[in-house]
Amino acid sequence: MRNAYIANQKSAHGRKALAVLPIHYPKELLTALDILAVELWGPPGPPRGPDAGRVQTYVCSIVRNALAFMAAGGADAADGVLFPHTCDSIQGLATVAPDMGGWTKPAFTFQHPKGSSRPSARTFVAAELRSLAEELAAFAGRSLEPERLWAALRLHREIDRLRAELLDGRTRLPMTDPELYRLLRRGEFLWPEEHLAELRTARDALGDDAAQSGVPVMITGYVPEPLSLLEALNDAGAYVCGDDYAAVGRRVQRALLGTAGDPLAELSRQYFLASPCSTRSADQSARLRYLTDLFDRSGARGVIVHVLKFCEPELFDIPAIRRTFAARKVPVLVVEGELEPEISGQLVTRLEAFVELLGQTRRAA
Amino acid sequence: MITRRRLEYELVKHVVGPATLRFDTLRGELKRRKKKPRPDSPFGPPLEAAHKLKELMSLHYLAGRYADGAVPVAWVTSGFPVEFLRPFGFHAVYPENHAALCSAQKQVPELASAAEAEGYATDLCSYARCDLGSAFTGKTPVGRLPKPDLLCCCTNICQTLLYWYRALATHFNVPLVLIDPPFVYGKAKPHHHQYILDQMEELLAEAARVSRKQVSLAELVEVMHLAREGTALWGECLDASRNRPAPWTGFDGFVHIGPIVALRGTKECNAYYRLLRDELHDRVKKGIGGIKNERHRLMWDNLPIWYGLRELSTLLAERGFNFVCTSYTNAWAEGGALVDPSQPMASMARAYSHVLLNQDLKNRLSVLERLARTYEVEGAVLHSDRSCKPYSVGQIDLKDRLQKALGIRVLLFEADHADPRAYAKEPAENRLTAFLESFA
Ligand code: SF4
Ligand code: SF4
Repeated sequence: MRNAYIANQKSAHGRKALAVLPIHYPKELLTALDILAVELWGPPGPPRGPDAGRVQTYVCSIVRNALAFMAAGGADAADGVLFPHTCDSIQGLATVAPDMGGWTKPAFTFQHPKGSSRPSARTFVAAELRSLAEELAAFAGRSLEPERLWAALRLHREIDRLRAELLDGRTRLPMTDPELYRLLRRGEFLWPEEHLAELRTARDALGDDAAQSGVPVMITGYVPEPLSLLEALNDAGAYVCGDDYAAVGRRVQRALLGTAGDPLAELSRQYFLASPCSTRSADQSARLRYLTDLFDRSGARGVIVHVLKFCEPELFDIPAIRRTFAARKVPVLVVEGELEPEISGQLVTRLEAFVELLGQTRRAA
Repeated sequence: MITRRRLEYELVKHVVGPATLRFDTLRGELKRRKKKPRPDSPFGPPLEAAHKLKELMSLHYLAGRYADGAVPVAWVTSGFPVEFLRPFGFHAVYPENHAALCSAQKQVPELASAAEAEGYATDLCSYARCDLGSAFTGKTPVGRLPKPDLLCCCTNICQTLLYWYRALATHFNVPLVLIDPPFVYGKAKPHHHQYILDQMEELLAEAARVSRKQVSLAELVEVMHLAREGTALWGECLDASRNRPAPWTGFDGFVHIGPIVALRGTKECNAYYRLLRDELHDRVKKGIGGIKNERHRLMWDNLPIWYGLRELSTLLAERGFNFVCTSYTNAWAEGGALVDPSQPMASMARAYSHVLLNQDLKNRLSVLERLARTYEVEGAVLHSDRSCKPYSVGQIDLKDRLQKALGIRVLLFEADHADPRAYAKEPAENRLTAFLESFA
């Protein structure tokens, strides 16, 4: 974990830190309450420490690694943990760690509704946000002031706007994919204002002319780990021009922000305007529409689906994604990983072959 | 006006089906009488009720072949509050029960392969792969499954069901209605309860729309009474195993669970469990055991291994071991008590969110401890089910806790509940044998 950074945030600003498991959570609430969110996506590599074997090997590495990491004291710099209701495995982790050992500090859950946006789901999200806000306010030792929540909403939408600008303007951005993703993923632990400053600097580098000359591809998947996958892609002569990683592009809120009224109600409204995500069991046709739109907008020539092994929400969507793009004669490459530190030589070869195929498609076109 | 299709359905369900199946049972009985019982069999005499069970479940599937176009058809997850559907006249099909049947009949590899060929990963739940394969190919050991008019999914046992039912909704192009009970960590929050109530209202509206029928609260309450009684009767059947020897085996329990899953809230279901309960009580009185020589009593956690029931139960019975309780069969006996027909909606919301898999591990542990004590077991086998994350995550800790709290031996046994391709038979059986030998 980012221990030094967390320690500095605590001493310099008196902020509490909350470790947050993937994926969707109302970060605005945390910001408004002056709580630093530090996301726990694994971490990468094999699970380590004496608790490495407490979750079966047929469960995704995010959950296996997170438990081992937490139980080994890796997240002790944080003052609490938040488990969003992402999938069965995270739901399991949210009881294994606090109830069976591995986490003794406060544990919170954010249970979001599954399925499409029914009236019951809307009422529930509003109530769940209110309930979480109360719990977090008690944790932070301060009350939630509406003006601060509005400010947090504006801050996070500004961050999203810049992230969208960088992702959409990818072709004109003189950065490699690993550089861009490293930057975007710093938002997983930086205090939002600091992240905003970094994004602004990157945005200033956006030019008018093409800065990328490789084969443009769209990528959809869970989390861009290991980064060597993107390095290999760049080395093979391609770059990501359309991003739908759950950890990155899928979390960019593109809807406009309301300007008045109850900020919690606005937060709840925004929840239903987010991009479709498998972990919310959103309407699958909406997700497919979203992906084809992104594909068309981005000018990609092919699609890479990068999933984590044993990730049920993502794995269930693959057949429909394949079918949809096959019907449009778009090449699709499915890549499955396990948060390994480096990708295998075999995968490098597959990426190279895929990029070569896309290159030929371009020439043929 | 009654349609021809409806007439066929009613005839099959009430006249032709029961008569044909009764005839089959009698013929089977004659054959069995001629056959001499195996003197070396480690099992007690077979349960008489098993014939009735076969008739009941076969009739359910037989009538199902004629259901679409005759009555509204719903495909329903096992944890769904089916009580709400019955008064609307839905014929309910349980894909999980169907997948278990496919597995017992060794058809999962073929059916699951059809789903895998469509891109469904082998790491996904084998029930889902099996049933999707069946839907894509139309192949099923029950002749034919009726096409659904409505898909009914409740995520109180897992989220997988929702991903699976979404795929079915696309395939059949029919609506999907969802009950999504928030997971219960400690105590359920009031707004979580309200969310379930709101969804129940949405379900009733959708059921009325699809079935084109309005239903009164009194009709709902009547079905709730039946369902509550059914789960209580099932509980009494399970309870019989508190006796020594237990009058049946835990594996028998897995097979006899069919009606409480697929026919809950019907008179037929309750009549069946009355029959079974009486037979079990009778066996207890006569000292007849599920196995001939019950030396050790064990507990089973997680789903059964459907394709290996016979082999595993023989392996155990030959060594004098019986699974006298299982968390899986027990789960179907627990919820009913929470249903209070005087508070129909509120109690249903509570009952359906407080199922075993929708509650935290502290609760799971206390259920397992209670079962182990009540049924006086000396050991437990926790089936670490590759397919079922919600049931399996946490079992490694549960194993340690059970060992420490109760001083019993516990084995973590890795397999898959439906797909034999994910089961390393020999090493698994060796592990199990070594575990059993440790009781010597
Ligand atoms: S990778 Fe998939 S299965 Fe694992 S925690 Fe994330 S959503 Fe759940
Ligand atoms: S076996 Fe487990 S994962 Fe599969 S449908 Fe049942 S509860 Fe869900």
